[in-house]
Amino acid sequence: MLDSSTLIVILLGLMASWARMGVALVISILFSLAVGIAAGMSRVLERVIIPVLDILQSIPILSFFPLALYAFVSLNPILGPELAAIFLIFTSQVWNIAFGVYEAVRVMPGELLEVSRALNLGAGRRFLNLYLPITFPKIAANLPASWANGLYFLVASEIISVGGMRVELFGIGSVSAGFIISGRYLELLVSIVAVAVAVLLTNALVFLPLIRMSERYRMEEVPVEVPRVWLDRVFKPLKDVFSHAYLPGHRELASAFSGISSRMGELRRYLWPLIGVVLLTLTLYLSPLLSNIPTGIGMMLDGFTRLGVNVFAMLGFSVLRVAAAILLTLLWVIPLTVLIHGRRILESMVVPLLQLGASIPATLIAPLIMDMVSSWGAPIELGALIIIILGIQWYLFFIIYGGFKSIPSEEVMLCDALGIKGLGRFRHLYFPRIFPSLVTGLIVAMGGGWNTLIIAERLEVEGRVWEVAAPGIGKTISLAISMGDIPLLASATIAMATFIVLLNRLLWRRLHGIAVSKLRVVEEA
Amino acid sequence: MRRPKGSYSPIIHQDEVKVEENEVGGQREAILEARDIYFSYRMRRGGELPVLQGLTITIYYAEFVGIVGPSGCGKSTLLRIMAGLLRPRSGEVFFRGRPITKPTPRISIMFQSPSLFPWYTVLENVMLALIHEKELSREEKEERAKAFLDMVGLSGFESAYPTELSGGMRQRVALARALVSQPDLLLMDEPFSNLDPLTAISLRREILNMWMNQALPPSSIVMVSHDVEELVEMAERIVVLTERPARIAGVVEVNMPRPRSRRSREFYEYVDRIYTMLS
Repeated sequence: MLDSSTLIVILLGLMASWARMGVALVISILFSLAVGIAAGMSRVLERVIIPVLDILQSIPILSFFPLALYAFVSLNPILGPELAAIFLIFTSQVWNIAFGVYEAVRVMPGELLEVSRALNLGAGRRFLNLYLPITFPKIAANLPASWANGLYFLVASEIISVGGMRVELFGIGSVSAGFIISGRYLELLVSIVAVAVAVLLTNALVFLPLIRMSERYRMEEVPVEVPRVWLDRVFKPLKDVFSHAYLPGHRELASAFSGISSRMGELRRYLWPLIGVVLLTLTLYLSPLLSNIPTGIGMMLDGFTRLGVNVFAMLGFSVLRVAAAILLTLLWVIPLTVLIHGRRILESMVVPLLQLGASIPATLIAPLIMDMVSSWGAPIELGALIIIILGIQWYLFFIIYGGFKSIPSEEVMLCDALGIKGLGRFRHLYFPRIFPSLVTGLIVAMGGGWNTLIIAERLEVEGRVWEVAAPGIGKTISLAISMGDIPLLASATIAMATFIVLLNRLLWRRLHGIAVSKLRVVEEA
Repeated sequence: MRRPKGSYSPIIHQDEVKVEENEVGGQREAILEARDIYFSYRMRRGGELPVLQGLTITIYYAEFVGIVGPSGCGKSTLLRIMAGLLRPRSGEVFFRGRPITKPTPRISIMFQSPSLFPWYTVLENVMLALIHEKELSREEKEERAKAFLDMVGLSGFESAYPTELSGGMRQRVALARALVSQPDLLLMDEPFSNLDPLTAISLRREILNMWMNQALPPSSIVMVSHDVEELVEMAERIVVLTERPARIAGVVEVNMPRPRSRRSREFYEYVDRIYTMLS
């Protein structure tokens, strides 16, 4: 039975975790302001900062962990694990905010800067009176998404097991994991409900008021819908561009795909970003070993040798898992969004339910899912798929739902007038209209999917391990983290990040470019 | 019927006068009747906002009716009810004697904005209106769409995308799309309000010519506008609505020879009469 001491533990755990995430969020904002404003202001810095941010966000978050842990523990053995946890949460929260700040500074009207120059405002005043207000809306809009991301990695950051090191930080993540391990499912349920309620409260009492407050600093005249928890873990600041772009005709799409393959020769252009990925990751991992560079390089080579050709199988299986998860998710997302589109009452019932669902971090119940799957005798592969779906489905739903919301009512009415219904309406109106959201959703889901892999393909909680039988890059990384095998971890991470960067540059960005350029659509005023 | 099958002549005779062909025993026959229409919008926070209160309006064959009223009075709502896009809370709409509850290809509607699908070419946009014409082959649909594009002066632009066209050209595409199904009744919701004055003048003239040419659809046109002069220039009968909830403030028959000069005294007298009713 539930006793009051358990409830207090849950409550305290919640507070500890919230404090941890709050500190990380504040650091994220400060970091984003510094980096984003610098990149938005100076062309030179922009050329350095943006690719670096781009690469950093392509590195799976959990791969940062051993590095952070070693660095922080060597800094201070007592506070080290705590700092490492905050660092991990920070890496999950910061990128979308940083890109948001950068974007806000980039689109700032030049006159404003000239005015502040004419008024002879110093750097401090300029920051307070110009940059802060101008970036405020973007920061505020990204807070719920960042919070959700941080929550997703809470369990991983509170239960640290790297190599021989095992540290458990007190927080709702470790408390919930404890409940799962000891089979106290009632307590687990209570703590999950507590997390969901806390997320909703945090949104309602902190983030939404901030977003409302930021509305008046908006440059655009157009009222923007209030973003929600699930909203983009923005992989690129694509969304704004996307909302003004449409699908080219089918022919263009087909030629786009053939264009992609024919343009593989342009690979050379991506050489530099790739070299960047490799160098950066190398530096990150080797920094503790800087005193002995040759040994470090030797270890790296050793890592790559051990990965060998298998790395392609790992990446292949992993990409298949994420793709399968996305397809399965679309199977419920598309019918549901079509169903609730234009049906206000149904919409007002379904959407809050999904909002509630989206505020439960999937990682909290991941061990439970694995436990259930293995007790049914089903392959762990099924559990992995479920965990990936839990990690990405909300992004897909809410981004596609947003796409449906943006369909002009006159076009719907036109279809009514022309009697275009059912599948025809999906083909002629819905699909082209939601296509940009669909691409954004796919990009975001892909990005999120990669991060879930490290948990989904191999999960280790309190000595219990569930792992998929087939190869997987996430499984390898998770294994390397657990064994403290830095060479393997670094090489697997480099392989994964390279793959993600390539996928972004060659497929997604091009798809997006086509959607924007082929149909220079300008909405009528 | 006056609808020729097969080919469509884009030639329009400027001075051809519409013949009132549907007179029954000296009385004109109605093409559309809206009887005792009530409509209200549900407010966000409960409660209802009455928009139309017991409105009755009859449109006859071969007629050009203008509807004018203060902004927000429910003109567009009325038009959408006539098109079968909105169901009135009470009252009925009869089209050629039969009640309509859903849109029919015999009635076309043009909105204030062209509402073209940017992912389709001009031709594809027009052909979309023929989607239910099952007996037509793709080639026939294409031919017919091309004929109507030609008629609105857009031949040569079939494979252009809407974004490549000017505002006036886009509205012409919307006109072609509205006409390609050969409707008996064309409903227009402020079709010229987003256009520059010169474009509006030429498009007005073309629509008038098309309506006056009895060989071409549509038989009747209903146009909602807040531009009184535009209505006096085009319409035969102008229905003036009151403020919301809209009732009929009065009906003005415009008995002026065509083409109507906006500079004549007669023209101004009509305009003044309508403004008096509006205020």
